[in-house]
Amino acid sequence: MSETATTGTTVRKAVRLEATNHEGSLLGKNVSPAKFEAGKESGFAFADILFAIDLGNEIVFGDAFPEWRGNLYDIAMVPDLTTLVEWKPGLDSVIGDYWLKDGRPVPICPRNLVKGLVARLAGHGYTATAAVEIEATLFEESVQEARARGYRDLTPLGGSTGATYHLARSSDWVSYMEAVVDRLDEVGIGWEAWTDEAAPGQTELNIAPTDPVRLGDSWARTRQVMREVAHELGHTVSFMAKPTAGFGQGAHINISLQSDGVNQFFAEDGLSEVMGHAVGGLLATMAGATSIVMPQITSYRRLVDLTGPPTTISWGVNNKTAAVRAITGHPKYSRLEYRLPGADVNPYFAIAVVLAGVLAGIEKQIEPPAQVTDMAWALPDSSGVERIPDTMSKAGAALAADPLLREYLGDEFVDFWVASRRWEWMEFHTKGGDPLAELSAWESRRYFEFP
Amino acid sequence: MAATTTITAPPTRPGVVRVVSEDDATPLARLVGRTLQQALHSGHAQEVLETTVGTVVVRSHDTPQVATIAFSGGTIDVASGAQPEPGATVVVDLNARFALTQEPEGDGVLAAAALQALTPPVPHWREAARRFWAATREIPGIPDVLVVEAVGPDGSEHDRFGEGTTTYGIAGPADLLAGIFSGADDLLVSLAAGVRIQGTLSQLSVMTAASWKVRFDV
Repeated sequence: MSETATTGTTVRKAVRLEATNHEGSLLGKNVSPAKFEAGKESGFAFADILFAIDLGNEIVFGDAFPEWRGNLYDIAMVPDLTTLVEWKPGLDSVIGDYWLKDGRPVPICPRNLVKGLVARLAGHGYTATAAVEIEATLFEESVQEARARGYRDLTPLGGSTGATYHLARSSDWVSYMEAVVDRLDEVGIGWEAWTDEAAPGQTELNIAPTDPVRLGDSWARTRQVMREVAHELGHTVSFMAKPTAGFGQGAHINISLQSDGVNQFFAEDGLSEVMGHAVGGLLATMAGATSIVMPQITSYRRLVDLTGPPTTISWGVNNKTAAVRAITGHPKYSRLEYRLPGADVNPYFAIAVVLAGVLAGIEKQIEPPAQVTDMAWALPDSSGVERIPDTMSKAGAALAADPLLREYLGDEFVDFWVASRRWEWMEFHTKGGDPLAELSAWESRRYFEFP
Repeated sequence: MAATTTITAPPTRPGVVRVVSEDDATPLARLVGRTLQQALHSGHAQEVLETTVGTVVVRSHDTPQVATIAFSGGTIDVASGAQPEPGATVVVDLNARFALTQEPEGDGVLAAAALQALTPPVPHWREAARRFWAATREIPGIPDVLVVEAVGPDGSEHDRFGEGTTTYGIAGPADLLAGIFSGADDLLVSLAAGVRIQGTLSQLSVMTAASWKVRFDV
């Protein structure tokens, strides 16, 4: 049965219900138009196991499931109709959140976590504007060919040399990116720029500043667009933190706060008091936040001094070697750039971590440590600047012990996440991963196509 | 003249042995370190632990896992990875209590000593269960009561540990249960070997954490 389209000019044949799991993969299912109409207010049943399956399709054990999880109970995915778009002729797409039967948000629902923190900011009179730089690496081979090769020894699309800002990329790479932004325009995702990045085949695509929930939606959907376009053109794309043993790739988040339309991070002479507290909160939570914004084993292979990612818990005005860069002095563009997340992060969790740090800093009046005016990489221990946890297990321990992130993200989420990372760490070590390899085959198989 | 008392000097205590694992160790290094600690505390292979000198690399037979034991006749250091030019290398099945899967390389005596140290006898299942239950009480969500049915040569034996309202049941061969409770065996792997469980999925999840605590000290 079909019905008149509500989002486009063609007849709606199906609606794709979408939401991310904890790993950041965009999950969902297609429903008929009639099914969608019947459930669009009350929601659709999804098995809660979507939060308990790892990237190897194993059930994750190690934590005490709360009562609502039970023996694989269902939860409700309720679509947010403001996200309804015509994804392609005949197929509409809508993003939703996960809710419990009693009407409470699922405590570990990524999108609801962001919504809750946005509401808490609003309680202080603030609205946040956020943007992200998405990095990804493109390969000539189709995903089928990549799978057949175990995702190894692939050919970077656009040439085998790394570059930044170069316009000499070959037309196959350019055609891919042009097709991506065409699709983003079609589905209403605001983008600002794209360019080649540091490594062979790598690209950076900037999503336009918007509210934090919408940014999460756009980020998750953009990754889906980039995959679909790659499939259509016979190529493949990866958001692994390190898809090859070469360069890593990140996802810098930019954020500013407004009140009554005025940028609260702006001050004539540098940092506003609000910005200072936000920096204080972001640095106070950074060790624990690492577990969330660097979610996978491979995420930590990216933490190499002098190669781009931050390696110290540091901040500085316009200092791109630090973990938090403060851009100051402009009434419109004053903002903070949080440079820690890898490209493999769950978009909503990454945004939630930034909002949690900003909120903690503001509510608890956390003063920032001294900024790093030198290069923030490779600092000696005597500098007093701590290193970012450089393994999944260290980062998990830091998160488990972080009272601020427990307060702002909730004990249930933190305990769930710490257990899931311990599971991932155990899977890597005991199921074939090799910590001594530059990039083990186990990691390529597990992370290349996900999240 | 005052009476004198002859005090017999205590026997010379051989080198005080301690096991030191590196920080942020891998699961294999943790398993090796925890097993050697267990051997030490139970008095197993005491002479080996006190007098052995040399470096032994322990490799998994089916994964890249590798750790190095450095015996010094006193402190025993356990580290992740393989130290170059070890005295011996053993390749073992980590899901079969360090069972050798191929002939050791290098110093055969040193390899045998390491393997002996790594295979302390598992305690009786009842004692192992009691210790397991005591060691895992602080894990959030752990059930109040453990009900065990151990099947041995003489039939089934039962016991209960703890008191409260939430109960978890586990049944299987007595030796395998003893292995799970003492950390010698992995709970999830043991399910395929005949162990049966009764409880909720969330309890199995928490019991997995408990199993890892006694096996890997995580």
